[in-house]
Amino acid sequence: MLDRLMAQLAPRRAVHAHCDIPCGVYDPQQARIEAESCYKIIQKYNDSSDELFRQRCTHVKEERAELTKHHIDVMWHDYFKPEHVEKFPDLHDVCWKASKQASQVKRTADIAEAQKLLDLIDRIDHMWRETGGAEATRMQQLEPVGASGAPKSDSISDSKAAAADAKPA
Amino acid sequence: MVAPLVKAAVALAGLLAVGRFAFPGALRLARSWPERVAVTGHSMAPRLLPGDWLLVDASGGTPRPVAGELVVVPDPRRSDRLLVKRVSAVERGQLLLRGDAPDASTDSRTFGAVDPGTVLGRPWFRYWPPRRIGRVG
Repeated sequence: MLDRLMAQLAPRRAVHAHCDIPCGVYDPQQARIEAESCYKIIQKYNDSSDELFRQRCTHVKEERAELTKHHIDVMWHDYFKPEHVEKFPDLHDVCWKASKQASQVKRTADIAEAQKLLDLIDRIDHMWRETGGAEATRMQQLEPVGASGAPKSDSISDSKAAAADAKPA
Repeated sequence: MVAPLVKAAVALAGLLAVGRFAFPGALRLARSWPERVAVTGHSMAPRLLPGDWLLVDASGGTPRPVAGELVVVPDPRRSDRLLVKRVSAVERGQLLLRGDAPDASTDSRTFGAVDPGTVLGRPWFRYWPPRRIGRVG
């Protein structure tokens, strides 16, 4: 009876107090990790003479470069706001160059290009830190992974890990 | 079975309005009763929260919304979806929309200004949950 009444009272439509990523989680490290993969893969590519391995390197590096570009774009399109551009007038230029540099890394095996990409991501990282950084856009880890002391998490995998740690040496 | 329930619900909501705002409020409530919406998302926190049920005065864009008012508009990027935002400023006849919680909001900073002609209405009353019943704006 009450359910029916509630069903009648309930609105028919939703209005979105909208946010593209409701959690508001952003971190340029996501781009940086993919870009570091590109850097390391290029190193391995250049050190190897195994043609099959080099082909695989190329394939994986192209995937990683594409992901790097995606994560740069998320920072650019979703995280940065007009007030951030006021603070950093070259923000658009840096993001644009970083996106282009990711494309450049996708098509070359030149380690210098991969380093340029890392440097540009670090400039995005700097702007992110200066506009709120991890405090504003990341969850705070109460107990960093690998920190000493007994883990307090109650998840299954963590308690297994805790049990393993608790074994006498 | 269903029709009497609707009547009961309308009467209940009407009584609430009469109790709180006397007769003109009840009239307004009766008029906007068909335009009910449920809030999802956190961009309007703490004034509007997910799960709030609102009555919308579906007067469209007239009179022109002014800065500070809540509006319901179709998402400029996906017209099948409705947004609720606050007008932060009116520039050259266009509305700049902002969430009350700017860090958790995608609004005019991302999709630009919106035409006042696209405004569907203004939320004015929250009728659910019971603890939060009252005017919004």
